[in-house]
Amino acid sequence: MNLLQQILPLVKKPARYAGGEWNVVHKDWENTEIKVAFAFPDVYEVGMSHLGLQILYNIVNSRPDALMERAFAPWPDMADKMRENSLPLFALESQRPVRDFDIVAFTLQYEMSFSNILYMLDLAGIPLLSGQRDAEVPLIIAGGPCAFNPEPMADFIDIFVIGEGEEVVNELLDVVSAGRRKMLARKEILLNAAMVPGIYVPSLYQVFYREDGTFLKIRPLRENVPEKVTKRVVKDFDRAPFPIKPVVPNTEAVHDRMMIEVLRGCTRGCRFCQAGIIYRPVREKKPETVLRQTAELVNNTGYDEISLTSLSTSDYSPVLEVIRAIADKHAQQGINVSLPSLRADHFSVGLAKEVQRVRRSSLTFAPEAGTQRLRDVINKGVTENDLMEAAGAAFKEGWQAVKLYFMIGLPTENDEDLDGIAQLAKDVLALGRKNGVPRGRLKVTVSVSSFVPKAHTVFQWEPQAPVEYLKRKQDELSKKIRDRGLTLNYHNADLSLIEAAFARGDRRLGAVLINAYQLGCRFDAWSEYFKNKLWLEAFRQAGLEPGWYACRSYKYDDPLPWDHIDPGVSKQYLVLEHKRAMAGILTGDCRTGSCTGCGVCPALEIEPFYAGSEQ
Amino acid sequence: MPRYRVMYAKEGPARYISHLDLIRAFERAARRAGLPLAFTQGFNPHPKLSFAAPLAVGTAGEAEFADLELSGNISAGVVAKSLSGVMPEGLRVIEIRLVPDSAPALMATVDLAGYTARAVLAMSLDKEMVEKAIAEFLARPEILVERRSKSGEKRIFDIKPGIITMSAQINDDIIVLDAELKTGSSGNIRFEELLGAFSENFCIPLRGNFVLCRRALYTAGRNRQDMLW
Ligand code: SF4
Repeated sequence: MNLLQQILPLVKKPARYAGGEWNVVHKDWENTEIKVAFAFPDVYEVGMSHLGLQILYNIVNSRPDALMERAFAPWPDMADKMRENSLPLFALESQRPVRDFDIVAFTLQYEMSFSNILYMLDLAGIPLLSGQRDAEVPLIIAGGPCAFNPEPMADFIDIFVIGEGEEVVNELLDVVSAGRRKMLARKEILLNAAMVPGIYVPSLYQVFYREDGTFLKIRPLRENVPEKVTKRVVKDFDRAPFPIKPVVPNTEAVHDRMMIEVLRGCTRGCRFCQAGIIYRPVREKKPETVLRQTAELVNNTGYDEISLTSLSTSDYSPVLEVIRAIADKHAQQGINVSLPSLRADHFSVGLAKEVQRVRRSSLTFAPEAGTQRLRDVINKGVTENDLMEAAGAAFKEGWQAVKLYFMIGLPTENDEDLDGIAQLAKDVLALGRKNGVPRGRLKVTVSVSSFVPKAHTVFQWEPQAPVEYLKRKQDELSKKIRDRGLTLNYHNADLSLIEAAFARGDRRLGAVLINAYQLGCRFDAWSEYFKNKLWLEAFRQAGLEPGWYACRSYKYDDPLPWDHIDPGVSKQYLVLEHKRAMAGILTGDCRTGSCTGCGVCPALEIEPFYAGSEQ
Repeated sequence: MPRYRVMYAKEGPARYISHLDLIRAFERAARRAGLPLAFTQGFNPHPKLSFAAPLAVGTAGEAEFADLELSGNISAGVVAKSLSGVMPEGLRVIEIRLVPDSAPALMATVDLAGYTARAVLAMSLDKEMVEKAIAEFLARPEILVERRSKSGEKRIFDIKPGIITMSAQINDDIIVLDAELKTGSSGNIRFEELLGAFSENFCIPLRGNFVLCRRALYTAGRNRQDMLW
């Protein structure tokens, strides 16, 4: 009767911690050289919905000399039980302590999960600070979108991986395994890792600040450490290893279905969007590859639904053919296709109609801004006409609920833009009524988030609107968007402020994170756990202010704390795009054939790849 | 459409699979096995799959029962063989038999369940003492527990009529409590309720907690050893 067996019946959703799922990989611990624990800084159901985990799990476990197991952030009730029983954070496959592994790999998906990394390190019994770790402790590595501004996490992470992990993870494991065999010291392994393209070892760099506290520069401490770290990108996306035997959770995940990534990158060029920059250029998977992988996924998982994932699946050139081919082949097995994130246009409604033959959930469109003027500023190439046509088509096809996503606090925003949000919502509602959707059934949900300037975006120089402004505008909107059938949701503005501070933060924020964790912050991405007072106190204790980071604007030639991380897109291009934004000039998508000169292709010696729709 | 009765074990990590998730686990396993599950008609079709009695999350089951319907005729042996290879760790197919259409639903058949609780004793305990405590416990005119309805209301419930047997064994530092309890539509007692009520008056010094297992499910009627075939 082991300890876990006695604890698990006492906690909520124990299947989160039990392992034993279908397709799980058990490798021989003693005879495997390099042991990696993938640590997802959120609960099991969220982490298991993350395709990146399954991709890396497949790659590492395919190596004869390495194994990967999984660990997730235990829900607070479980953490309490673990502490009571002196049970350290363990990996699900072998139930071994995470600190017994050689490498612990975190993914940085959103800033508000940073506190959970400290929480997991602490539960694992691993020193929080990189500088306090010795040879006995695993190497702590991290990747994911937030690694593109790694500085706020620099005190805690030994090695950052910048960009796509499929290839670099193998190179990194080779360095670690070679270092092990030569019995190199931890410092030497870190130095060797820093030579690998796409690897950033923050302890090998020094940060300089000006007297007024602004960021001055960051410089390598040793000669052969690169000044700039350029992101990694998979050139042949079609042939990149893809997990056709993903672990199938025993308890319902947030996305509880097969996932097949059909394209990577998006060049629509929304100026607030970080993913649109860091995943460039666009690379599509060939339809035959998608179909082959789908067939294997169906056999290997038993799921009844497959999601074609990407940043913007309606942009996938052969999307219609692929959807029809999947239906032809798998509909009799009861398999449905689902599409995340649809564009607000007629074509997308057609796609939705194609896949949602049975279910009539709601359709989501993201116009992002309330007026054409502001949509031009942010380069959201959607017109009011597009939206109305799409919504009209949706109602005609039988949908009764529509969700609209907007942002407030965008650069140049004025009252008209906010009125525009309310007006669009009312117009869509009226359209629903006109199309005969029964009053009791018709539902238009308006979801309003707050603009958060992110590193490496066109709006990286722009300030976030002050919290008071955001709250006032939220209030005004809730007065205007009030009608039977209209629902308004908005994000917590206090949380957006902290998120923005970290999104453009520098290395000094490490102290804030430690304070916040010690004050009790964790699971901050969960609104019920986000405690604004504690965060403000954590900043105060460190002598810093979140608004100083979030609400300041930068000049084009100001050095930025993330300048040493290179996403391939040139800063010059971002400047140009920023100027065009302020002038309200649209920039086209390079998928139409004319390169807009973002620079990623020449810099990384790569080209966009479109699968074509001739099949 | 042919109906198959599956006897299976739910152990190891699978003991933490909730009832709702168990339905999904069977559905996915059937799809992996290439078995054509029969679905209900209607707007939101779901597989024709029913279980004898839900098992509390965390309690292992040594001989659980489920009925599933397929849309094609396949021999029970083939169904058993193909399902066995595709179950997640801890869900183990023991036997599958074809049952006639006329056979009553499992839920209507089940009447009793046999349970075992095991734990490590924190200090040695006299077996007679435990037996005496059980005898006194069972001799009470009523054994009241608090239950909560779905809406969260509390009410008091007498579980005594549902306790068929209860006994204890002690081997070195391991204590094992056995019980047979009413289960199903004619009355349903949870094993945790019994353990809770018992330990209110008789404190067993444990190291850790009880680990629970449902050994068997029985039909009503004369032959108590009758499994649900
Ligand atoms: S370099 Fe040109 S073609 Fe390549 S992603 Fe940028 S804009 Fe598109």
